[in-house]
Amino acid sequence: MRLPRLIRSTPFRLTLLFLALFAAAASAFLGYIYIATAGEVNRRADAEITREMESLEAAYRVGGVNALNQTIVERATGERPFLYLLLDKDGKRISGSIEESPIDDFTGPGPTWETFKLTETDIDGAEVKRAARGVQERLSGGEALFVGADVQESEGYVMKIVRALRGAGALVIILGLAGGVLISRNVSRSMQGLVDVVNAVRAGDLHARARVRGTRDEYDELAEGLNDMLDRIERLMGGLRHAGDAIAHDLRSPLTRLRARMEVALIDAENGKGDPVAALETALADADGVLKTFNAVLAIARLQAAGEAPNQAVFDASELASDMAELYEASCEDKGLDFKAEIVPALGVRGNREFIAQALANILDNAIKYTPEGGAVMLRARRTSSSELEFSVTDTGPGVPEADRARVVQRFVRLENSRSEPGAGLGLSLVQAVAASHGGRLELAEGPGEYGGFGPGLRVALVLPRVE
Amino acid sequence: MRILIIEDDLEAAAAMRHGLTEAGYECTHAPDGEAGLAEAGKGKFDVMIVDRMMPKKNGVEVVETLRREGDQTPVLFLSALGEINDRVTGLRAGADDYLVKPYAFAELIARVDALSRRRETGAVATTLKVGELEMNLINRTVHRQGKEIDLQPREFQLLEFMMRHAGQSVTRTMLLEKVWEYHFDPQTNVIDVHISRLRSKIDKGFDRAMLQTVRGAGYRLDP
Repeated sequence: MRLPRLIRSTPFRLTLLFLALFAAAASAFLGYIYIATAGEVNRRADAEITREMESLEAAYRVGGVNALNQTIVERATGERPFLYLLLDKDGKRISGSIEESPIDDFTGPGPTWETFKLTETDIDGAEVKRAARGVQERLSGGEALFVGADVQESEGYVMKIVRALRGAGALVIILGLAGGVLISRNVSRSMQGLVDVVNAVRAGDLHARARVRGTRDEYDELAEGLNDMLDRIERLMGGLRHAGDAIAHDLRSPLTRLRARMEVALIDAENGKGDPVAALETALADADGVLKTFNAVLAIARLQAAGEAPNQAVFDASELASDMAELYEASCEDKGLDFKAEIVPALGVRGNREFIAQALANILDNAIKYTPEGGAVMLRARRTSSSELEFSVTDTGPGVPEADRARVVQRFVRLENSRSEPGAGLGLSLVQAVAASHGGRLELAEGPGEYGGFGPGLRVALVLPRVE
Repeated sequence: MRILIIEDDLEAAAAMRHGLTEAGYECTHAPDGEAGLAEAGKGKFDVMIVDRMMPKKNGVEVVETLRREGDQTPVLFLSALGEINDRVTGLRAGADDYLVKPYAFAELIARVDALSRRRETGAVATTLKVGELEMNLINRTVHRQGKEIDLQPREFQLLEFMMRHAGQSVTRTMLLEKVWEYHFDPQTNVIDVHISRLRSKIDKGFDRAMLQTVRGAGYRLDP
C-alpha cells in the first residue's frame, strides 16, 4: 500500500520525469565524452599506422619486394612498436613480426582496417591478449602488406573512461531515485495532513484543523490558510445557526404576542368592548419592535457577508465623536448621569460614517441604559498608536464579568441582569460587525472600579485603523 | 398638492395612496419605471415617491432620467429593509429624501409634507417668524414675545428646522437626519431629550406651548 501510494504521488512522478530527462542528458554527455576520448585514441593510432604504411610503400616502390622485405625485417627488430606482415600473391607469409594476418578474407586492393586481439606471451610465460589495430593493402606487385599497432595501453585508458562514465551514470540514477523517494515521502506526508483535514471537513467535521509545524514553508502557509478559512466558515456557520435559532426565538414571542393582541382586539371590537384604536397602536408598536430586531440582524449579516463596509470615505473621527457627545450628553443629564467627553481633535478615519456613528450610538445607548442614576459616562476619542485610533466609552454601571465579555458580543446574548431592560441583544453584535468590516476590533474591559456604590463599570472600545 | 407614486407593489401603492389621500393629497399611481416616467412627463407633481426595485426601469434609473431631463420635482426614494447601499445610491441619483420599507405612515406623510413645502420656503430669508417666535438668521438670535431666548448652537438649528416646517409633523428620524445629519437608528430617546430641552427654553414661562408632541409621529411647532 505504501509503495503504490508513493509512486502515485505527484512529487515522485515529477522526480521520475526529471530523472529520465537527467539520464538522457547524462547519456548524451557521456556518449560525447566517449566518442571524443576513445575515438581520438583510435584516430591517432590509425594515423601513425597509415604513416608507417606509406613509408613502407615508398620503400617498395623504390626497391621492390626485396627492399620492402629488408626494411620490414629491419624495422620489426627495431624499436618501432608496429606489427608487420608481408604476404606474397598467394597469401603466403614472406616476412613480418606476426604469423598470420588478422584479416581472414582480405581481397584488396584498398586498405582494410581491423581491430583485433594480439596474443602474446608475457615474461611469466602466460598468454595475454592485447588490443591491436591494423590495416592491410595489396601492393602493385600483388603482394599484401599488413601494418598494425598494439593499442592495448590507449584501449585501457578508454576502458577506464567508459567504466568511470558507467559508474557515474549509475550513481546519478541511484542518488536521483533515492532523493526522489525522500522528497516525495516528505511532501506526501505534508500533503497527507492537509488532505486528511479536507476529507474530514468534507465528511462533516468542521472542527478538523491542519497541523502547523512552524517551519514557515509553503505547507505551513497552506495549513494556516486552510485553518483560517475553516475558522471563518465555522464562525459563519455557527453565527448563522445561532442567528436562525435566535431570530426564531426572538421574533416568535413578539409575533405571538402581536397575534394574540390583535385577536383579542378583534373579539372585543365585535362585542363592542375595549378600545380598538389603543389595541392597534400597541400592535403597531410590537410590529415596529419586530422590524427593528429584524433590521439589526440583517445589517449584521450583510456586514459579515460583505466583509468590508460599503461606501467608505475618509472623515474626521473627532467631529463624529463630538457630535455623538453632544447628542448623548442630553440623555445622560436627563438620567442624572455625569457625562464627560475627551476628544483629541483631527483624527482621520476611513470608513462608513453612518455605521461608525451607529456603533458609537449603540455603545453609548448601552452605557446610559445600564449605568444607575448618579453614575458617570465618559466618551474618549484618541490615537492609540501610529496606525490606530480608539473610541472608548467608560461607564460606572455593574460592568460585565470577564467570563461573559466574549459572549455579550454575540447576537441575541443578553446577560441575566439585563433582561429587564428593553433591547434585543444586538447592539454590541452590530458594533462588532462594524469594527470587523473596517479592519478594527471591539474591546471590552473593566471600568474604573467602584463608583457611588456601583461598579466596577465597563469600558467598551472601538479600535479602528487611522489615516492622516 | 399632487403626488406621483411609482411603485410596483400594488397593495403597498394602494395603502400609500389611501393614507396620502386622507392627509389631503391627490395621488396618481404608476406600476413601473417606464409608466412612472410617462406620468411624470404628463402632469405637474409636487412630490414623487419612487420605489427602488421595479420592473422595466428601476428607481435609480427613473430619478436619473428625471434629473437629466431637467425635472426638479422633489423625489422621496423608497427601498427595502436592510439594503445598506440604497440610501447613498438613491441620493446620488438625485433623490431628495429616502425612506426604508416598511415605514410608519406618519414618517411617510411627514417626509412628503416636508418635501412638498420645501419649494415654498426656498426663498432666502434673514428672519423666520412663527406666531410669537422670531428667529434672526444673521445674528442668530431668537425672541418670543420680544423676550430673548438663549439657545445652544444645536438647539438653534433644531428650532430653525422646526420653524421652517411649522405646522407640520416632523419625526425623530427626520430630526436626526436633517439637524444632526446622521442616518442611524438610536435605540433610546436621544432626540426626545433635546426636544424637551428646547421646549423648556421656548415654552417655559409662556401661557401657551408651541412645541407639541404628535403621538405616534413626532413633534410639531404650532404658531
